[in-house]
Amino acid sequence: MKLLKPSWVSHNGKPIFSVDIHPDGTKFATGGQGEDSGKVMIWNMAPVLRDEDEKNENIPKMLCQMDNHLACVNCVRWSNNGLYLASGGDDKLVMVWKRAAFIGPSTVFGSSSKLANVEQWRCVTILRNHTGDVMDVAWSPHDVWLASCSVDNTIVIWNARKFPEMVTCLRGHTGLVKGLTWDPVGKYVASQADDHSLRVWRTMDWQMEANITKPFSECGGTTHVLRLSWSPDGQYLVSAHAMNNSGPTAQIVERGGWKTNMDFVGHRKAVTVVKFNPKIFKKKQKNGSAPKPGCPYCCCAVGSKDRSLSVWLTSLKRPLVVIHDLFDKSIMDISWTLTGLGMLVCSMDGTVAYLDFSLDELGDPLNEEEKNSIHQNIYGKSLAITSTEAQLSTTIIENPEMLKYQQERQSSAQLGPSSAGPEASAPKLNSVMNGESLEDIRKNLLKKQVETRTPDGRRRITPLCIAQLDTGDFSPALFNSAPILPSGSSMSNQLTSQLSSDSSPGPASSLGLRPGHDPMLTSPPAGAATKGPEDNKDGAKSGLLLTSASKIEPMKALDSRFTERSKATPGVTATISSIAGLVPLDRPKDGGGVSAPKDVKAKDDTSSDSEDKMASINKNLSFSKRKPELLMDGDGVVEKRKKGRPRKDKMAAPMAQPFMQMTPPAEREPSRVAAPPAALKLPTPSIKKAFSLQVSMEPSVFLEVENEVSLIAGSKLSQLRCSRDGRDWNTLLPSSVVTAAGSSDVLAVACQDRMLSVFSSCGRRLLPAIQLATPASALHCSAHFVMALTAGATLSVWDVHKQKALVKNESLLSILSGADTTVSQSLLTQQGVPVIGLSNGKCYCFSSSLETWTLIADKGDSMVQCADFRSCLPTHDAPVSSGPLAVMQGRNLNAGRLASRLSSTPHHLQQSMTLAFLENQLASALTLQSAQEYRYWLLIYARFLVNEGSEHRLRELCQELLGPVHKSAATAWEPTTLGLRKRELLREVLPVIVENLRFQRLFTEYQDQLELLRNK
Amino acid sequence: MAKVQVLNVAVLDNPSPFGNPFQFEITFECMEDLPEDLEWKIIYVGSAESEEYDQVLDSVLVGPVPAGRHMFVFQADAPNTGLIPESDAVGVTVVLITCTYRGQEFIRIGYYVNNEYTDPELRENPPLKPDYTQLLRNILASNPRVTRFHINWEGSADKMEDCENVDPSPNISGMLPPSCIPGKMPPLGLMPDNSMDCM
Repeated sequence: MKLLKPSWVSHNGKPIFSVDIHPDGTKFATGGQGEDSGKVMIWNMAPVLRDEDEKNENIPKMLCQMDNHLACVNCVRWSNNGLYLASGGDDKLVMVWKRAAFIGPSTVFGSSSKLANVEQWRCVTILRNHTGDVMDVAWSPHDVWLASCSVDNTIVIWNARKFPEMVTCLRGHTGLVKGLTWDPVGKYVASQADDHSLRVWRTMDWQMEANITKPFSECGGTTHVLRLSWSPDGQYLVSAHAMNNSGPTAQIVERGGWKTNMDFVGHRKAVTVVKFNPKIFKKKQKNGSAPKPGCPYCCCAVGSKDRSLSVWLTSLKRPLVVIHDLFDKSIMDISWTLTGLGMLVCSMDGTVAYLDFSLDELGDPLNEEEKNSIHQNIYGKSLAITSTEAQLSTTIIENPEMLKYQQERQSSAQLGPSSAGPEASAPKLNSVMNGESLEDIRKNLLKKQVETRTPDGRRRITPLCIAQLDTGDFSPALFNSAPILPSGSSMSNQLTSQLSSDSSPGPASSLGLRPGHDPMLTSPPAGAATKGPEDNKDGAKSGLLLTSASKIEPMKALDSRFTERSKATPGVTATISSIAGLVPLDRPKDGGGVSAPKDVKAKDDTSSDSEDKMASINKNLSFSKRKPELLMDGDGVVEKRKKGRPRKDKMAAPMAQPFMQMTPPAEREPSRVAAPPAALKLPTPSIKKAFSLQVSMEPSVFLEVENEVSLIAGSKLSQLRCSRDGRDWNTLLPSSVVTAAGSSDVLAVACQDRMLSVFSSCGRRLLPAIQLATPASALHCSAHFVMALTAGATLSVWDVHKQKALVKNESLLSILSGADTTVSQSLLTQQGVPVIGLSNGKCYCFSSSLETWTLIADKGDSMVQCADFRSCLPTHDAPVSSGPLAVMQGRNLNAGRLASRLSSTPHHLQQSMTLAFLENQLASALTLQSAQEYRYWLLIYARFLVNEGSEHRLRELCQELLGPVHKSAATAWEPTTLGLRKRELLREVLPVIVENLRFQRLFTEYQDQLELLRNK
Repeated sequence: MAKVQVLNVAVLDNPSPFGNPFQFEITFECMEDLPEDLEWKIIYVGSAESEEYDQVLDSVLVGPVPAGRHMFVFQADAPNTGLIPESDAVGVTVVLITCTYRGQEFIRIGYYVNNEYTDPELRENPPLKPDYTQLLRNILASNPRVTRFHINWEGSADKMEDCENVDPSPNISGMLPPSCIPGKMPPLGLMPDNSMDCM
């Protein structure tokens, strides 16, 4: 056995009440008293284990410290899966911590301390229920529950799957409850209290199973903690502080009948902590000797108020080892490594000791399988294997395909973390929110941030949320927002400059200010500015160091300002709020006046900007849009344009003028009269004398329209000119062209006389002129479909190839509810599905098969905002951004925007909302006939179902994709959807299903059927 | 345990002419959703001699604040020159950013500010009446002085605990008073009233 006391593990001399080694053995946590708060610290295990690592300065010793507990921390415990750390303290709180993966090392703002936190552990949940100090916390096997006990005489069982949900509160103790331990098979939880009792509670119904008082009746006095422990085979429960014949003991309680016949004797003072080694051992096989079937035994460490530690093997009558005078004060906590060979002990004296055992001393540890079989032999399968996912890791994989997927996943998982070890630099900062980098956001933050006035006239800024807390499973996170590091951006530069300014002249030196890197000055004023009387003294001292004492005076006076709460503060607040809207007294006279209009202006700017953008998107015909396209297409196009139309613009202009005047008003009148005098009249584009647009990029097709070009016998003609891949054609139309649209296949123009003409890409007229009932408001072409939206709010879509109407004069009345709702966006998908976006944020498409309007997007839908499926997003697939659904929902798809607010929302509600949202997306993609988007959302949906364990829906989904295995005439099952083969989709869904081992039967079932079908 | 941690304050538009508005980009992190707004203030210390000359340049409410990391820019107009004692216009002073929750101040971030003429001529012979248009304001951004106060996050100010200060940092060597322009010293012995009533 080796013994080591790492002196660097310390809470600055303050007591350490608890220690716990992480299940992976790479770090450990300590809890205790901080400066004026409770303190939890996480330490690196490597420097404890290896001498060379201790000496290596590049290996961090302290990984993180958390001062969040208001008062002394009594207990720290890692969850069995190692993801969480629970801490309980005198502030009556239990905090659960999780490592924030995406946030790099940081310091505390304003402190120049070099002690950066290497790892970031964040409090993800605070459990409040206890009314007194929390003394001990314990995770149940498989992390199903977390138990905490308190001096309020209660034990609270928390649902560790849904923090902060409380499962139950166990009442019965009549004294301070100071220790907890779970039965390793999860059937019981035991507690020990100051009321001279040890109680065992059933997890089945949370009732008391046993109340053991006899060994404790003699117990006088008390200890700070009573940490009892359950043996890893579940057979024995060992108490802290018990008495036998006036001697302090650790009482052994047998599981069968809760008999108390044995105890560990020898300590001179009360036993504070008992901790079983997590391993079960069997006797070490001696070389050469025949293997003897030795009885497995357990190992137990006992710590006492007498400052000594004893280690026992249940196979021996005497302790394996007793160590006296290891500490100056009482032992407070013990933690074994998962390997069973190492042990950390902490003491009230603020130090920690590490004990290292060898296999020769303890024996051969049984492996997990052997341990499981012992459990199964004793407790039967039903108890030994509880139905939890953690247990699933040992589930036998029944299907070779499943195994293959599992192995692939594991290997890829191993690839990942290897590059992102604790010291590895944080992931490269590509912090992009909705396409904007943090840098962009910072640049425009002042302009962009939302500032309002409260009713009493005060400024109120809505801060920009740049990252949700990495709170993992417990609270929903913001969709679409990348976690942002404080480092990597210019922020980190600032941080580093703050740090470096200690040793090197900061930017201030150029000013003639002398930053405090003068060695003469560095030492005395530590803490000078904070404490009043000291301030004076130190100030005087440092004053002497300076050439002139007077120099320091104003600074010292100023220094006090840093640390005092301003007296003026509340008073001034009142003034400001009371003179709402007026110029605050303190402000420069022009201040208030200027700032307000500025704000307004800024807002106007942004809003008009966005409107402009919308307009330019909506109007395919706008000239402003043309310009960037030309630039994009390069010089060739520009030149061609010039050649093709030698300055006709100028020629046309003077000619057009008179015609415009001559245009008899009567000609326009009829069109207006013809239009139904409905209130729902959509705006029509104004007639321009010439315009052009690019209708397709590949092949590049340009359309140019010149109205009223030539005059033949008093009538005017309009010219339509098209350039496609350099080949031009043109045609003449009898009336002015109002709007035009085109695709790579067809071109359509609507004229002032309400005629709609459709041409092929080579200029052939494909359809006779179609007479529209009212003037065209918008025109779209896509593939071989033409869509016309008229001013009378009717919609038609034609299939030009088939010469058939898909949608016939469908009225928008049913969707244009409300007086001021207008069409803000319209488009036609490649499949000929018309989509209308309304100004109220709703977006509809007309389903020609259902012959009805269907809602595909609604910005105001709270369901969308609350949905959280971030964890289900595919890692490698880029999100589909080009499909019609994405275009309509677009950047406005603020799914999950509210999710971060819902941290208190019950998980099942969140789950239902997300489910509803995803099903909406699927249905919308289906209606829009957008195959790629359908596939995209289908996979997200499947992943969500798998994650959430919704077996029924998953099964139904698979069934629908698989269809009937045996063909029969009666089935209406279509083998494809949107051109995607359903069984291919199922083949893509199956690997997703593998991710949850719970569904391996489902996987096997469908995998087999798919194979069967393939072989047919 | 403070629910709000200030992670960084970036001083924007610095150095700048005296009349320019102050701009601070503040990044903070909140552990859980705050039911009430935070109130931020920028206080300009007009004179080292007395708190009387402190000017609250502006006060804003910031909210709603859900759990997470947030940032905003706090802009406030330059101080009213009429309220600054002429003798204190040039030289070193302090600007404070404070944040209160439910009426309780829990953090105070202080910066030294140096106001100086850019023109060497003026620097040599400063006019009796300060010419604010010629003054350059330089905030010593690299050395924030942060003081944190324990407050009662759940209740209101009347239940406020003691005013125990938290030492801003173990190493405040960087915050030593910079040397100031000679000749602009307030008379010796004129201690500000509040210098003794530190907590």
